[in-house]
Amino acid sequence: MIDVYDLTKRYGQNTVVDGLSFTVRPGAVTGFLGPNGAGKSTTMRMMLGLTHPDSGSARIAGRPYHELRHPVRQVGALLETAVAHRGLTAANHLRWIAESNGIPRGRVAQVLDLVGLSGAARQRLGTFSLGMGQRLGLAAALLGDPAVLVLDEPVNGLDAEGIRWLRELLRHQAAEGRTVLVSSHLMTEMSLVADHLIVVHRGRLLADTSTADFIRRHARSYVRVRTPEAVMLARELDRRGATSTMAPDGSLEVGGMPAAEINRLAAAAGLTLDELSTQTGSLEDTFLGLVGDRSDARV
Amino acid sequence: MSETLAAVRAEFTKVRCVRTTYLALLLFVPLSLLVAALDGASARSAIDSHNPLLRAGFTPQQAGLDGILYGQLALIVFGVLVVSSEYGSGMVRVSLLAVPRRGRLFAVKSLVAAAVTAAVAIPVTVLGYLATQAALGPHGASIGDAGVPLALGGAVGYLTLMSLFALGVAATARSAVLPLAVLLPMVLAGSHILTVIGATRQLAQYFPDQAGLQMLTVGSHRAVTGFAVLLAWTAAALACGFLRQWRWDG
Repeated sequence: MIDVYDLTKRYGQNTVVDGLSFTVRPGAVTGFLGPNGAGKSTTMRMMLGLTHPDSGSARIAGRPYHELRHPVRQVGALLETAVAHRGLTAANHLRWIAESNGIPRGRVAQVLDLVGLSGAARQRLGTFSLGMGQRLGLAAALLGDPAVLVLDEPVNGLDAEGIRWLRELLRHQAAEGRTVLVSSHLMTEMSLVADHLIVVHRGRLLADTSTADFIRRHARSYVRVRTPEAVMLARELDRRGATSTMAPDGSLEVGGMPAAEINRLAAAAGLTLDELSTQTGSLEDTFLGLVGDRSDARV
Repeated sequence: MSETLAAVRAEFTKVRCVRTTYLALLLFVPLSLLVAALDGASARSAIDSHNPLLRAGFTPQQAGLDGILYGQLALIVFGVLVVSSEYGSGMVRVSLLAVPRRGRLFAVKSLVAAAVTAAVAIPVTVLGYLATQAALGPHGASIGDAGVPLALGGAVGYLTLMSLFALGVAATARSAVLPLAVLLPMVLAGSHILTVIGATRQLAQYFPDQAGLQMLTVGSHRAVTGFAVLLAWTAAALACGFLRQWRWDG
């Protein structure tokens, strides 16, 4: 369980996190969604005690991070900027973290195996690719078998196979009753893995709801109509208060009127239709639309 | 296991496994011993040939402590790298995630750096002294001569404090470049030049290295004062370094 209460962080004139409050519950994957610069990373760093908030508090399992005993065994964290020293080998990097929290040394080989880095255990980190570095970061997060995971953009740098592996891992961790918070700026990615969404923009909370509910409420749908007499149909639609725009391929994208009604309207006007289909806007469009519309208001 | 002990173990592993830090520490050994032996050998030939260039206050006992004066450069680099390797690489964030109590992390890091420095300094100081005497041959002195054991002990204390002083300065700067650019020239030449100029001599004796040198001067009456001055510098540097880590945000 993670509790964020009225968290605020300013850098000079710039308020990066602005009175943010939410709770992340165990047993589910919670997506922390927002465009770049929305304040996600800063919020996560404040949860983990790396950044001092100007006001408000963040608690994990009821305590501020720095009060947790052997924190690596309670919270697994992945941050873009928290990286290993290039001169260390992968195994030695995990080894000192394990030692610092009294984690048995055998666990190092286990997590290296889990993230698919067994073969690179003795390789120096300066030679690691972006994806390997990300896997090592995940290994470090999982090292203490923690009940809470806080992962900042874990998908970055992973290949398609790695992303699928990560999704399964996160779902599995949540199914075991752990608290899993994952940030991303990609709505599509979040919709595939998150049960719950916390959406932020400009440091403020935009939405705190289940993923299904978020999509239902905010997804924009329209009807695609293809007809030889597009101009005439557009005029008819306009008269009835529906909006239509001409797509580059000559079809019409109609909003504000269901497909059946468009069909009746066309029949009444004696227009033939070659295609009539309801389309759902992409999740990315949904998200960008929401962020664009409501940049200063809470949904 | 207590959290502090666990943190100590982890810091030892870091020192041993981060290559640059480890190399700086190792470099101290050959640098000190080589200079110690060369110093003895050149002094021997100077004495044998009645060379007037042999410095006026030369004693074989004091010459036995010359090697580590050069070796200390490596230990200063070590003290700086122990801290700057964290800030430079981003590892400081991982360290703070593992040991979020910043006071504990800083204290443990300083303690481990001091322990490692002392552990290397003790044998090297003794061996350096013996190497110089061996190279001096018939002109060599004994390790049991008056004031020598005390000066050797003082040398270990001096080296440990200088390494910690460097650590504190690096933690204050949160980088390696500036501390090295200030500390290495200071120890090599800077403050020594000040002692030669009459006007600044009074001032120079309160510099950390010049004050600390009294600790390893055989038969010095100002060893305790020198120790106190260097200790004060070290404590101040560590306090500044800790404050900077305490306030670090990122």
